[in-house]
Amino acid sequence: MTGRRRWVAAGIYAALGLWSVFVVFPLYWMLIASFKDPLAVSQGPTFIPWVDFQPTLAAWKAILFGIERETIGKPLTNSILIGLGSTSLAVVVGALAAYGIARLPVRVGPMKNQDILFWIVSQRIMPPIITGIALFLMLRAFRLVDTRMGMTLVYTAFNLPLAAWLMHNFFQQVPADIEEAALVDGATRAQALWHVVVPVSVPGLIATFLFCLVFAWNEFLLALILTFDRARTMPILIAAQHSQRWIEWWSLSAMSLITIAPVVLITLALQRYLILNVLAGAGR
Amino acid sequence: MNRRSGALLFLSPAVAILLLFTLFPFAFTLALSFARVSLVGGLSLRFGGLANWSRLVHDDRFWNALENTVVIVVVGVAAEFVLGLSLALLVNRPLRGGNVFRTLFILPMALAPIAIGYIWRMIYHETIGPLNALLALVGLSPIPWLSDGDVALASIILTDVWHWTPFMFIVLLAALQSLPLEVLEAAQIDGTTGWQLFRYIVFPMLLPTALTAIILRVLEAFKIVDEIFIITGGGPGVSTESLTLHAYYVGFLSFDLAYGATIALGLFLLVLAVALLALRVVRPYMGVET
Repeated sequence: MTGRRRWVAAGIYAALGLWSVFVVFPLYWMLIASFKDPLAVSQGPTFIPWVDFQPTLAAWKAILFGIERETIGKPLTNSILIGLGSTSLAVVVGALAAYGIARLPVRVGPMKNQDILFWIVSQRIMPPIITGIALFLMLRAFRLVDTRMGMTLVYTAFNLPLAAWLMHNFFQQVPADIEEAALVDGATRAQALWHVVVPVSVPGLIATFLFCLVFAWNEFLLALILTFDRARTMPILIAAQHSQRWIEWWSLSAMSLITIAPVVLITLALQRYLILNVLAGAGR
Repeated sequence: MNRRSGALLFLSPAVAILLLFTLFPFAFTLALSFARVSLVGGLSLRFGGLANWSRLVHDDRFWNALENTVVIVVVGVAAEFVLGLSLALLVNRPLRGGNVFRTLFILPMALAPIAIGYIWRMIYHETIGPLNALLALVGLSPIPWLSDGDVALASIILTDVWHWTPFMFIVLLAALQSLPLEVLEAAQIDGTTGWQLFRYIVFPMLLPTALTAIILRVLEAFKIVDEIFIITGGGPGVSTESLTLHAYYVGFLSFDLAYGATIALGLFLLVLAVALLALRVVRPYMGVET
């Protein structure tokens, strides 16, 4: 390696290292905050455990086994049930629509396959505050405000465009030959779908499911408008804690980490797929 | 069952859900903007003419929120694009620890915006946060991260850059990795290297993906609310209030649903105009892939 190339390599690593610090520091800050006691927070910033503050498990104990368990229990259950329910619905309904668009001639009025796909996907552009105001009145009329049922339905619609788009990308990469063969051999469309298409679609379905789950899990504004107490989700819990007792960083940090943890795991699982399959199609 | 009706069978659940939960609410909100709403003793709607819309046009707080939103979108997305592209170019080569960098750089975009807002509010804290302490350590005076209007807006943008540069990074990295190797090798054999290779070969091939990513990101960024809600609540005063936050405050804190709906539609018109403009401007470039 020549001297100049070595300098270039050093420069690249320095730039990547700098950005890594920028990415990691805020997460590190939250992690250590969850191990701080009140003094370590309120007497000014402390940076390194055992060096400038003594870490404590108090916040984690309170949340997992102690007085905070009540606080976090219901929102966590709500987040899980609403997330899984709405995501399952969105993936099934979205995959059906995507399959219809990818494999069959569709015509609704002047709209054909691609127009309908575009129409479905474009619904994602609609700012949620617009639908949120009307949904509040609609759910109120059906007594679905602040219910898991209401939130599940709303999040299904929220994720449907994304699910349909991802599954459409996926079906386009799967050759139609095998199902055509099954159909020629006398299988019905439903049989071909269940025995041929579903098995090969499992990777796409899983990836789509995880993507949609992350969006439902993280969603804030609609939950803020449509829940108050019984159906409120983790983001709402954190936001509410924050306005009530802002300085209790340790407890807020622990709750935030609990909210973030599943998504970090999903990201680690998905990142290869993300780069290789889904977003490579973004330029099309 | 013929093929035509089969297709409709596949599509109808999705269309029904979107009609019910997206299109109908949109029409409802549109109706609200021309109404006077009372929630006392059950919902009652009365025709209110253009009252809400004329109020919107003369509402300084609306125009302030619009300006804030546009500044966040333009500055934020531009920074995210430049940084995301730079990082993608740096990572797109055989690197020791390349996978670690990639995973790390993607991570922030997946995290709950509420948690991100909360993290950054701790970091920006002017007396017990780390930033001003580090500044003091190197002898610099503290920065009013959240207590000065202009600085607070910049702080919101910085948070957005942290959150969303990963999106630009991953889309552009995917595009870089799918570039045809033959073209790059041919150019290198011809002696094109470094900046020239990027400027005349790589960048034109990236352009369609880059424009798509920018448009997607711009359309998303217009909706910004979560982080602002936590970090500043729109303050100090209204200097970081976005359109969505303004509409939420009016609709659900002042409980003026009709006027909140009108503000939300103002945002919608803006997003729609940008989307249509983007499609017009961008279309000629989308074809010139190679």
